[in-house]
This record gives sequence, C-alpha cells and structure tokens, in this order.
Amino acid sequence: MARRIGFFICECGPNIGENVDIDAVLNAVEDMDDVVLAARFGLMCSGPGKDFLKANIKTEKLTHLVVAACSPKQHELTFMEVCEDSGINPFLFQLTNIREQVAWVTKDKEEATEKTIRLAKAAIRRVRYHDPLSKTALAVNADVLVIGGGVAGMAAALRLASPERRVHLVERSSSLGGRVVAQGPIYPTMASGGEMATAMVDLVEGNDWIVVHRYSEVSVVVGFFGNFEVVVTGELEDGGTLETKVNVGAGVVATGAEVLEGKPLEDLGHGSIDGVVSSAELEAMLADGSIGGKGGKAPKSVAFVQCVGRDEVGYCSEICCMNSAKQARLLLEAAKGAKVHILYRDLCVPGRDQQAFLEGAVKAGANLVRTTSVEVGGSKGGITVSHSLGDGKAEKLMVDMVVLSPAMVPPTGTEGMAEMLNVELDPSGFLLEAHAKLEPMAAGIDGIYLAGSASGPRSVSDSIVQAEACAGRVLSSLIPGRTIEPEIRVSHILETLCTGCQTCLEVCCYGAIVYDPMKNVSHINAAICRGCGNCVAACPSNAISLYHFTYKQLYQEIVEAIR
Amino acid sequence: MDENNGHDDVLVIGAGMAGIEASLRLALAGRHVHLVEESPCFGGSVIRFEDIYPNMDCATCMIAPLQQDLLQNASIDLLTLSRVEKVSGNAGKFKVRVKKKASYVSAETCIGCGMCFEACPVSLDNDFEEGMAQRKAIYVPAAGALPNVPSIDTDNCLRFKGEECNACIEACMFEAIVMDDKDEVLDLDVAAILVATGYGLMDLKPMKRFGYGKVPDVLSSVAFARLYASNGPTEGELKLRSGDAPSSVAVVQCVGREETGYCSAVCCLNSLKFAHYVDHKLPDAAVHVLHTDMCVPGKTHQRFRDKMVEHGADLVFATDVKVGKGSPGVKIAYKDGAGKAAELKVDMVVLAPAFVPSEGSKELADILGVPLDGTGFFAQGGNGGGPVSTAKEGIYVAGCATGPKGISQVVMEADMAVAAILTGTDGGVS
Amino acid sequence: MTSSDAKADSQGFRPRVVGFLCNWCSYAGADLAGTSRLDVPAAISPIRVMCSSRVDPVLIMTALMRGADGVLVTGCHPGDCHYDKGNYFARRRFALTDQILTSLGLEPERVRLSWVSASEGPRYAEVVNEFIEEIRELGPNPMRTNRSL
Ligand SMILES: Cc1cc2nc3c(=O)[nH]c(=O)nc-3n(C[C@H](O)[C@H](O)[C@H](O)COP(=O)(O)OP(=O)(O)OC[C@H]3O[C@@H](n4cnc5c(N)ncnc54)[C@H](O)[C@@H]3O)c2cc1C
Ligand SMILES: Cc1cc2nc3c(=O)[nH]c(=O)nc-3n(C[C@H](O)[C@H](O)[C@H](O)COP(=O)(O)OP(=O)(O)OC[C@H]3O[C@@H](n4cnc5c(N)ncnc54)[C@H](O)[C@@H]3O)c2cc1C
Ligand code: SF4
Ligand code: SF4
Ligand code: SF4
Ligand code: SF4
Ligand code: SF4
Ligand code: FES
Repeated sequence: MARRIGFFICECGPNIGENVDIDAVLNAVEDMDDVVLAARFGLMCSGPGKDFLKANIKTEKLTHLVVAACSPKQHELTFMEVCEDSGINPFLFQLTNIREQVAWVTKDKEEATEKTIRLAKAAIRRVRYHDPLSKTALAVNADVLVIGGGVAGMAAALRLASPERRVHLVERSSSLGGRVVAQGPIYPTMASGGEMATAMVDLVEGNDWIVVHRYSEVSVVVGFFGNFEVVVTGELEDGGTLETKVNVGAGVVATGAEVLEGKPLEDLGHGSIDGVVSSAELEAMLADGSIGGKGGKAPKSVAFVQCVGRDEVGYCSEICCMNSAKQARLLLEAAKGAKVHILYRDLCVPGRDQQAFLEGAVKAGANLVRTTSVEVGGSKGGITVSHSLGDGKAEKLMVDMVVLSPAMVPPTGTEGMAEMLNVELDPSGFLLEAHAKLEPMAAGIDGIYLAGSASGPRSVSDSIVQAEACAGRVLSSLIPGRTIEPEIRVSHILETLCTGCQTCLEVCCYGAIVYDPMKNVSHINAAICRGCGNCVAACPSNAISLYHFTYKQLYQEIVEAIR
Repeated sequence: MDENNGHDDVLVIGAGMAGIEASLRLALAGRHVHLVEESPCFGGSVIRFEDIYPNMDCATCMIAPLQQDLLQNASIDLLTLSRVEKVSGNAGKFKVRVKKKASYVSAETCIGCGMCFEACPVSLDNDFEEGMAQRKAIYVPAAGALPNVPSIDTDNCLRFKGEECNACIEACMFEAIVMDDKDEVLDLDVAAILVATGYGLMDLKPMKRFGYGKVPDVLSSVAFARLYASNGPTEGELKLRSGDAPSSVAVVQCVGREETGYCSAVCCLNSLKFAHYVDHKLPDAAVHVLHTDMCVPGKTHQRFRDKMVEHGADLVFATDVKVGKGSPGVKIAYKDGAGKAAELKVDMVVLAPAFVPSEGSKELADILGVPLDGTGFFAQGGNGGGPVSTAKEGIYVAGCATGPKGISQVVMEADMAVAAILTGTDGGVS
Repeated sequence: MTSSDAKADSQGFRPRVVGFLCNWCSYAGADLAGTSRLDVPAAISPIRVMCSSRVDPVLIMTALMRGADGVLVTGCHPGDCHYDKGNYFARRRFALTDQILTSLGLEPERVRLSWVSASEGPRYAEVVNEFIEEIRELGPNPMRTNRSL
C-alpha cells in the first residue's frame, strides 16, 4: 500500500507560531515524497486539535503521521493515542520537538524556521521507514522462589503465599529461622528474637501455599521475569541428592549475612585469651541463659570493642553499635553495678528511635568511650584493654570479659549465587541492587529481588521492611491470571548476519542475549530486552537492529538534519 | 485499568518519593489512586537536590521518568494544592473529604509557556529557593517543576488584594487563567489510606548559637543544595552574598540533635555530599565537615566517606559549636576531640538541621484518628502491625513521615505499604 | 554567545552539527533549556536515541561522511544511565571513534561526548554553544563535498 504521510505543525499559540514561519515550513515539506497533506493548527493537543488530526487522517486516508510540536515528553503519548483511535499503528508516527528545542531556544526567526524545516524533513523521511510495532502479552507464572529461610525469607514468603500463588522456600540448613531464631531479646523492642522467629516458622509450616525445601540449595535458575525455571537440589539422608524442578515467575534472595571471623578478631585475643568473645557468641550465651537468666553467671566488668574488622571490610556494619548497647543493657540487668564500657569510634545510631535506645543503655550504667585504637592482652587478674582517647592519651581497663563486635560479611556461596542468577556483586561482596535509591530491593535482573542482609547488613526490622518491599514489587507486577507487556522497542538479531562472536552478550546489562552453540548464533529474548541499543552498537557484524531506532531510520534523520 | 469500580481505591497523602512510588505500584496492580499533595508541584524534597549520595545520581534524572509515568497514568489522580479535611469510616470503606484549592489556571488549557509570570508585576521571595530568588504571584516553584502549570498565590496577587490587575490574563494567549476558579471539595470512597507526608527541617533561628539569620553566609542545607542546583537561583554557582566564590566552606552537622534527641540519619552523608559539591564546583576551596559521630552505616557509605576524604574533605570532630561573625567571613568556635577550645575561619557555613515532623502532621493525625509518637512523627507499628502500619486498620504510613531516613528506606517502606494494601492486611511481624 | 550562528559567517561557513541526545537525561536537559528560554545555537539538530550507548562509530561516521561539521553525543552522567552502564560503553566506544577520525585525517575535536543531566538546562546550552564555537574554529568538514550524495 502506498504511503500517505500527513504532516501537521502546531502553532502552540504564539509559542511556535510567532517564532517560526509556519507557512515557510509547510511550503518546504509539502512536496516531499509520500506527503499528501501538510497542515497547521493552533493548539494540536487540545480537543479540537486532536479532532482535526482524526478528521484529516480519515479524509486523506493517511497511513503515517508526523507532528511538529512540543517535546515528546509532553505529548508523544497523546498523539500516539490519536493514531490508535484512527486505526494507524502508533509507531507509524513521529513527533518532532520544535517548541522546547527550537522556538524556545532560538531568538532569530529565520534560523528557527530553517531549523524547524530540517527537523520536519528529518521526521518525515524517518517515518517512511517506520515499522508497525505491537504490544505482546506474555502469560506469567505467579509462583515465587524464596532462597533463604531467615526472617527476611519467611516474611516475604508469608506475604506472598496465597491460593493463587505458591511460594517455594529453599533453606540450606536443617531448619528455618536463620540467625534470629537463636537470638535473645532484639533491639529496639527487646522482644524475644527466638520467639518471634519461631512464631514465623510456625506460620510458614502451617501455610498450605508455602513449599519448604530444607537441606536444599538452588542449583539452576534460567528464564526471565514471569517465567523462570529453577532446579532445587536437596541433600538426602543417605548422602544422595534429590533434584526438584520448579517453575516460578520471580525469585527473592534472602540468604542473610555472616559474622566475620579470623585475624581481626584473633589480633584482639579471640581464641587465645579466655573471656574474649565475639558478639555472636555472647548473643548465644544470653539466649541460652549461660549468662544472665536464672542460674547464669554474669561478668562484673566488660569492655565492648566496636568496629572489629571494619577497616578490613571497608564498611560500617550498621547493627553492631545498637547490638552492643542492647547486650550492655542485658549484662547490666544480669549483674547490677557491673562496669560496662563500650569502646567506639563513631556511634552509629541513625533514625528516630536508636539514639534513645542507646541513651537507655547509658542510663542503665554503660560507659561510652570514644577511642581511636584498642589493644587487648591477657593478665592474671583478668583482661587488659588499652585504648587511646581523643587527646592522644592512653587508658587501661581491667575487665572480666571482652566482647568483640565483628563486621557482618556476605554468606559463603554468595559468589556462586551471583553467578547463577547473573546478578552482580558490589565492592563489599554483597549482592548488588538494581538501583541504590529507586530499587534497593531488586537485583539488576528483572524478577530477582533482594531481601534482608543478603544485600548488606541490616537490622531485623529493616530486613523485614526490605522483604515486604520485595513482596510489594511482586504483588504489583506479577499478578495471577494477568499477562505482562514487555518493552516494545527492543533489539533483535538477524541470524544470517550473526557470526556468533558473542560480543553482544558481554555488553547487555540485563542478560537478554543468549548464545546458541548449535546454530552458532546469538538470540535476544524480547521479554528481557529493555531496548537501550547498546548491543547494536557493539555488534561487529551489524547483525543487530533496535526497533524504532534502526540504522535506516536514524540515517534518514541524519541526512536531513545536516542539510 | 480500573477493574473494581472504585471499591478498592486508595488515598495517598503526600507526593514525595514515598507517595510517588506507592502510587505507581498500586496503579500497576490495577488500583485507582487519589494522590493528594498540598504544594503546587510534586516530587517532595528530592526535586530540590541536584545530586544524591552515595552515587551522586542526579535526582531530577532519577525521578523524572517516575513523574512522567505518574502524570500519564490514567489510574492516578494527582490532586495538587489539596489537603485532606475529613476522614470517616473504617478499613475497606473510608469516606474522605479533600479540599482542592483553586489554582486559577486551567490545567487542560495551559500549555506551560510561562508568559503569565513574565507579565505579573508582583515579585516576592521564592520559598522553594529558600528566599534566594524571586517569583511572581502567578508562578511555578522552579523551572522543570511538574506539573508545569502555574497557580496564583492569592495572598500576594493584586486582584485578591482588591486592586486592579489583568496582566497575566492579558499575557496568556490560551485563556487558561480562570479568575472565577473555585475551591473544590471532593468526596472520595477509598479502601485504604497511605500517609506519605515526609518531613520538615528544624527551624534554625531559635538556636542562636549557630548564627543563622544573623551572620551573613550562614546557610541551611537546603539553601546550599539549591545554590548547587543547575535550575536553582544561581544556575549552580556556589556564591557568597558578595557574589564571590567562597574559598572555604564548613558544614556543621547534628544541628538540633541535642534538641530533638535523635540522629537524623542522613545528615552525615548529606554533608559529605556537600563536600563533594564544593570539590566539584570549586576544586581549590577548602571544605571542613564538623561532626560528632560520623554516621555512615551500611555497606556503601563508608566508601563514600573515604572517597570524599580523598577529594580533600577535612573531617573535624567538634562539639559545642558556635558560629559568629568573623572579620571577614564566618568564625566557628568549637571543642576538639581532646575537649580543647578550637577555632575555624571560613567564608561560608552550611548548617545541617535535624529532621522534624512535617508541618501539619498533628492536624492530619487528628483528622485520621491515628497517634503521633513522642517525637511528633507518625507512630509506627500500632495494631500489632509492622513499621508501615498505624494504630488504625487500613491506614498506613511510609517514608519520612515516621522519622528521618534516606531515599532507599523511603522507597522500601512505600513498597511494603503497597504489599500490605494489596493483601488487605496490616504490615508484617512486629 | 553568537546569535546568528546558523547563518554564514564572514567566510560563508554555516556549521551543521548533529546532536544525539539520550532520552532520559540529556533530552530532558535540552527540554529544560527550552523551558528556561536559554539560547541554544540553531546549528544543532537534535536526534533522540534511548541511550548514548546506541550511538556507535558507524552512526557518527555516517554523519561526518554525509558532511556534518560536528557530532555531539550527550548522555546521562556516569552512574545515571537509565540502562545501568550504557554511557560507560558509549565512552569506551568513543576512543575508537577518535582513532577512526584521526586515521581519516579528520580532527577528533569534531566529535564530542558530554554528560548532561535532566536538571542541567544551562549546561546543555553551554555545551552546545562551546561545541559550535569549536566547530567554527575548525571550519567546514573537509568531506562536505560529499554532502550532495
Ligand atoms: C550478634 C548479633 C546480634 C544481633 N542482634 C540484633 C538485634 O538485637 N536486633 C536486630 O534488629 N538485629 C540484630 N541482629 C541482626 C539480625 O541478626 C539480622 O538482621 C537478621 O538475621 C537478618 O535476617 P535475614 O533473614 O536477612 O538473614 P539470616 O538470619 O542470616 O538468614 C539467612 C538464611 O538463609 C540461609 N541461607 C544462606 N545461604 C543460603 C543458600 N545459598 N541457599 C539456601 N539457604 C541459604 C541461611 O541458612 C539462613 O537460614 C544481630 C546480629 C548479630 C550477628
Ligand atoms: C538537605 C538534604 C539532602 C538530602 N540528600 C539526600 C541524598 O543525597 N540521598 C538520600 O537518600 N536522601 C537525602 N535526603 C533525604 C531525602 O530528602 C528523604 O529521604 C526523602 O525525600 C523523603 O521522601 P518522603 O516522600 O518521605 O518525603 P518528602 O520528600 O518530604 O515528601 C512529602 C510530600 O508530602 C507533601 N505533604 C506534606 N504534608 C502534607 C499534607 N498534610 N497533605 C498533603 N501533602 C502533604 C509535601 O508537600 C511533599 O511533597 C536529604 C535530605 C535533606 C534535608
Ligand atoms: S555499627 Fe557501630 S560498631 Fe558497627 S561498624 Fe558501624 S560504627 Fe562500628
Ligand atoms: S555481536 Fe553480533 S555477530 Fe556477535 S554474536 Fe552478537 S549478534 Fe552475533
Ligand atoms: S538492546 Fe540493550 S537490553 Fe536489549 S539486548 Fe541489546 S544490550 Fe540488552
Ligand atoms: S492578576 Fe496580576 S498580580 Fe495577580 S497573578 Fe495575575 S498578573 Fe500577577
Ligand atoms: S496560564 Fe497561560 S500564560 Fe501562563 S503558563 Fe499557562 S498557558 Fe502560559
Ligand atoms: S540512558 Fe542516558 S546515557 Fe544511557
């Protein structure tokens, strides 16, 4: 069918009308190939303006539409809707911006007119090479995979599971609950962590829509948002393994964090001096009653050493100042009148409630000491802790117990996890978020979310917030029975030109491209591609084309743009 | 998109980061959202910052696609210049009365050309720019603010003072100015309510020791952020009142922490960001960051601090800070790490005031029938729910409305509230 | 700032410059220059692409071979790319473009990559003004004769 292009220029009142010689523009374009109509209107985005377009599309039997008006950020959608309403594929349309980028930035009318003509011609030549594009609707699997059964993983699972949505919860250890299940009171509420986590475990186990895979890890994840294929590998009692295949639409990684061990602690006497323990060890003693509680012993003098390993890992672990304040409170409750020193560098108590909690520990008797360096040594009467004060003077403390607050670090297996999921790691070795601010709960791969300490040290409450945020994302985008509409302007590979060099695989930030060794060609998954065009520019064989930004289309624009 | 004929509409109050994120997500899930915002533009605090820590993302670039999505989303009614007046009913069936103040400009016909404000004879200090620039009585707060439709400030427009003026009406070629526009009252039925009204910053004037309002070139953090912004009063030039570039800047943290009794969580990072601002625009200028605790929690922020120090930020432990006139410049007296008196002379001082509850929190809390906590922020976790729940079922809260926090946490809370609203139960495990 | 830049100068030179603007930051920045009524030389013809990473050496060379006096590519600031790292790739490819230009005997200054954010209306105007000024100094693209192709 012959192309019948309609060109419409908006006066935008005086905004374009007074700064551009509209008649000159109309004259310049009306004889171009395929242009059957060139017309002006006062305010194209108004109701009458849209009606004007529709009427002309109809009477002139237009097949393509070019509008010269304001920025596409303002009204591209408006005119695409006009196209749709008039039976023209909305991609057989081009809007050229002669207001923000011509009339409003060019003082000289002659120049503005000339630039408008260039841009109008570029748009007209471009639109001749447009292809009709249409939305695709993909059916989705609404089920969700959750990896890690700590509080974060359980919170996500509980929020998501429903009769329409099964959740597979994969936990590598023998039981659910993660770190918190073995904890005593947790800051800032001082409610029992153990009780809270156990209550969650009961809810998970009683939930018909959550399938718990214990002693299991995820070994394969392939696919894309809405359609992932997963293999869960479980350990059997006889030492064998069991592979279970599950299909899900999204995955939540909630593998937690671990406590640093080794040199930074050993340098401070851990493992060599009696009474030097890590905060995690003290946590266990407080929880099982061997310290505090009925019949438990309690040290008379304690020094907490903060930021152990902080320099080595390169970050502040966020939870330890608060945790030491909590443990100090518990120790002071266990032994009234005990001497408890917290040796810190910077106090990290951000937010509305945390400082008040810390002050509670001070009221209970904890002594906060700002220090720059700490050494721990053994001696007969106890442990000596020497540290330097702000004025450079050193101070020596004699205590029964030293509690080291080690950094939180990524759990073992994080690198493998990242590789399997095609998710990146940050400089600290935790899983990296898609965007630190806008998508702190999502990984860079669509449909993979991050909950709890898996993407950095977090408190219980923040871990749950993040897990629930993952759930919010899933609940709002992966809806049982609904389809999803991937990006329309995506890239595709012409197999006949592709040499299988796989350069494109390396540049795609979304893992949208896969290589097919059988055919020795690469293939773009349109459901994953976001349409940046990076691969197009990278392909040495010109085998890739980005819909709506094809070489041909851009070429046409270039040619007119520089006339 | 609306599948449920309004029976499960959601009211979101406040269109900052939290309100925008929640609205977009709820709309995606097929809910109809009424987004009530009291100011004439939306985006909240972040639209005033050019770059945000820790990656120095451009805030405008970050939020612009969300704003555009929102403006074009048929499932979201953005009601600017609006306030919630009355709420009754219970979860699942709240009745809400919203008052939308007349803007005197028709959003349908206005094309955002700005001719009207050029013509308007009334000039006054622009609050959005912390008074460092002027605006007219008909105005948009800043270039690029959305929606790009001006409104008339009836406190200052001559017509509303009974004087004769037709300047804007005559300047508008689109007959978009409607002087007989009326305040509107909307009665809405909603199933759930999300409070996302953000924060305010502590008033600096009463804290006399910091010299704000008395000593020249002592600025608030927001004013400094506006000076840095390309769309701000100086088009991004960091300048003293004299018009010269400062050769030294000191950022003072924890301003008001003693008074509030909490740490505002973002100021250390924000102050480090300011050090970057200075380094970026005036590489030869000295930057001192006066802090008590340097609070850089989490896996990324310490690296950010280290980078700023590498770029020349001088971190100074300081207590008992007092700011006064120097001759010339500004003089800061403080106690150093050893408790000794020390002094610093600089050209400019930036104060990082504590976060406080946003203005009108009390009034809104009363309308909603939910409590504030001891600090005046909305109380969290009532009703056995998690951090986004309030004491009343069906009413949720997210973002800085419950206390100071950075954007990531704000966004996560918004999405947590979305999860709770979509599943119809209160948030989480306490 | 020259106000008649699209008109011929005393030597009869009317620079023609193609500007590839990424949709998310730079295009918005250029729009803001408009909303703020700044002066942007008419010599630039903006072409919208989704990301600066779409702009490959082939496109740039095409523009130059067709006679463009300069090509300006603007993208989001490092770290701000809407597609994560597109602009880093764009930057990397620029080194290649430089080499090609030199080997063809063209001044590498005819091609420029700049970062412009959505709030940087003034910066966009400044970048374009500076670039056009530089192109003016360089004079017409020696390949211009091909333009009639
Ligand atoms: C000593 C100490 C005291 C603390 N005290 C407090 C406190 O008082 N208040 C507070 O708010 N926070 C406290 N915290 C922090 C709190 O422990 C964390 O916030 C919480 O554990 C985070 O929960 P999570 O679910 O993210 O991770 P975790 O609890 O670590 O759970 C992760 C789960 O994932 C599983 N897993 C790991 N890798 C895999 C894999 N590859 N496949 C399958 N499963 C896997 C693990 O086995 C584990 O069950 C404390 C931390 C420490 C170290
Ligand atoms: C100087 C400074 C720099 C900062 N820099 C950074 C940074 O670099 N990175 C970072 O992560 N964070 C930063 N922050 C913090 C960041 O601003 C907040 O985390 C974030 O903006 C909070 O978003 P919000 O939606 O909760 O609130 P807000 O952004 O405050 O939005 C609340 C909205 O609600 C509206 N509103 C209020 N009350 C009502 C009412 N009663 N009715 C209707 N509408 C109402 C307001 O007008 C506003 O639009 C900074 C803060 C400051 C002060
Ligand atoms: S939370 Fe406190 S103890 Fe832990 S690393 Fe940060 S400053 Fe050090
Ligand atoms: S870069 Fe091009 S040729 Fe190489 S695999 Fe990808 S599509 Fe094929
Ligand atoms: S266009 Fe971008 S997202 Fe799509 S396949 Fe290419 S590089 Fe990946
Ligand atoms: S009527 Fe006059 S004073 Fe009032 S907004 Fe219009 S121009 Fe300004
Ligand atoms: S009210 Fe009229 S003059 Fe003012 S911005 Fe809108 S269209 Fe332009
Ligand atoms: S989207 Fe702007 S450079 Fe990639």
